[in-house]
Amino acid sequence: MLHIESLSITLGEFSVRDVSLEVQSNEYFIILGPTGAGKTVLLETIAGIHTPDSGRIFLGDREITSTEPRSRNIGMVYQDYMLFPHLTVEDNIAFGLHQRKIPVDEQRAIVEDMCILLEIHHLTGRYPGSLSGGEQQRVALARALVLKPEILLLDEPMSALDHRTRERMRMELSRIQRLTGTTIIQITHHFEDVFALADRIAIMREGRVVQVGETSEVFLHPLDTFIAEFLGIGNIIRGTSSRTGNIAQITTGNGPVFYAASSIFGEVVATIHAEDVILSQEPFISSARNCLFGTISETIPFGSTVRVILDVGFPLTALLTRESCHDLHLEQGSRVYATFKASAVHVIPVTRTSE
Amino acid sequence: MRRYCLSLTYLIFFSISAILLCLILYSPLPALTASLASPEIRFAILLSLVTSVISTIICIAIAIPVAYALARYQFFGKRIANLALTIPLTLPPLVAGIGLLLFFGTTPWGKALETLGFVVIFTPLGIIVAEVFVNIPYMIRILRSAFTTVNPRYEYVAKTLGCTDTSAFFQVTLPMARHGLLAGTVITWSKAMGEFGAVLMVAGATTMRTETLPIALYLNISTGDLNLAVAAATILILISLITLCAVEYFDRGVHVF
Repeated sequence: MLHIESLSITLGEFSVRDVSLEVQSNEYFIILGPTGAGKTVLLETIAGIHTPDSGRIFLGDREITSTEPRSRNIGMVYQDYMLFPHLTVEDNIAFGLHQRKIPVDEQRAIVEDMCILLEIHHLTGRYPGSLSGGEQQRVALARALVLKPEILLLDEPMSALDHRTRERMRMELSRIQRLTGTTIIQITHHFEDVFALADRIAIMREGRVVQVGETSEVFLHPLDTFIAEFLGIGNIIRGTSSRTGNIAQITTGNGPVFYAASSIFGEVVATIHAEDVILSQEPFISSARNCLFGTISETIPFGSTVRVILDVGFPLTALLTRESCHDLHLEQGSRVYATFKASAVHVIPVTRTSE
Repeated sequence: MRRYCLSLTYLIFFSISAILLCLILYSPLPALTASLASPEIRFAILLSLVTSVISTIICIAIAIPVAYALARYQFFGKRIANLALTIPLTLPPLVAGIGLLLFFGTTPWGKALETLGFVVIFTPLGIIVAEVFVNIPYMIRILRSAFTTVNPRYEYVAKTLGCTDTSAFFQVTLPMARHGLLAGTVITWSKAMGEFGAVLMVAGATTMRTETLPIALYLNISTGDLNLAVAAATILILISLITLCAVEYFDRGVHVF
């Protein structure tokens, strides 16, 4: 639905180089990348703030490369919200409606509906300066959403929030997306956002999109060392977490159960760093709670290390040195035991389905 | 050390207050009101008000776009432009006045403007030209710093919400820079009310024709008419006080002095 064709633009020290992307309708698309990768410039160019040096942007069948931002129907929310400080919350939200010369009583009705949706109706008379971060965030979202944008661009919208508020906003965002059917493209630094929200992700580095794909696909099969290191995680396993004694037991669809030192229950995503997985020929008796048996489906050398992908019922990645790999005679088809501690399993609640 | 610094501070404070009070209290109240009511002072007040208001409006109209360009755009010669705009700040107004006098009096362009009816030398119009020339750098500097403090992302968001470049500026950036604009306006206006050197050079000092308040002060001192001179001075002091209060009130984050 949003189609970007070899887009390039340089703005001072930031640049976007030859980026091609495709974002589907109703998709939640997340862009990850280190600082200075050109993520914000890309978003602003999609919004029409900057004219690209080359390349084209299509929204549906319509080419919008040189369309004014106001005629694109793309909303944008920044990290610092950029609420107009001289206007009340109500006037901020109505700002876009006012530009479209919508009659005042209609404006009021639309603003009110949006405020109820976002639970900010008690704030309408206040000025942005007196709101908390989470409240400002909602107002900024409301201001963009009243125009029913085809695409909503979020530039690290939750970075300025504390952990708990972020968790709540995450639920809010996924609820809003389901309710409004808006396509969302978000920049984030938090992997939690990715697991909880993203349908697909793109990784950017030095102005280029280096990998695009389904979230689990990108995490399981990073294209190069940079991405693997940037993502820093080897394993993402979806499952259901339930209490067993003092720890959580995670049941995967058709795979084995394993344990995690966590008090989060319900639908979860469990992450395990690949370097925390120990491989052995015989069952490894130790304090580690988890010892799974599987077959090696792939070995991928990366410099001095090797990523070994096992099938234990679900794909599990282990990071070994070349030496260990050689000493253990590990190759495709080898059958090995994989051991990891329950405390090495990081459990993230999936907010998508929890209300 | 502390005692020395504090006593000097008090000394300066009392000296300034005493000098100003002396001036205001010099003529007894009836004499002061009589002077204020005299045709010459009334003419001077009116002329000062009219010229300063017009020159301030012109300054605002020119300074807003120029300051915005300096704050937002990258362009060829920006550094030089910034520097050139600063020169009149450090230039004695008398020198600025001579520059204007020569420009409008001796150059072909000045002559051409004169034949078109834009007569500047020794006319009230010259007062406005002199005031604009001397004051516009202040206005530009204040507004530039006011615009610079407004994050351009506010405009970006406004544009995604349906604004054109122009409407984003008028609905977002300008209101957010309003304190700078108000402070700049008050300062420009009060400087225009008190402008002497440049006005003297360009518009001359003709009684009841180009006689603004500072010129009236100067003319009456020259002829020994102290009461009228003090009346003019009193008004100028009041204007300074008003400016000071206004700037203290509006001047948040916009450092002008």
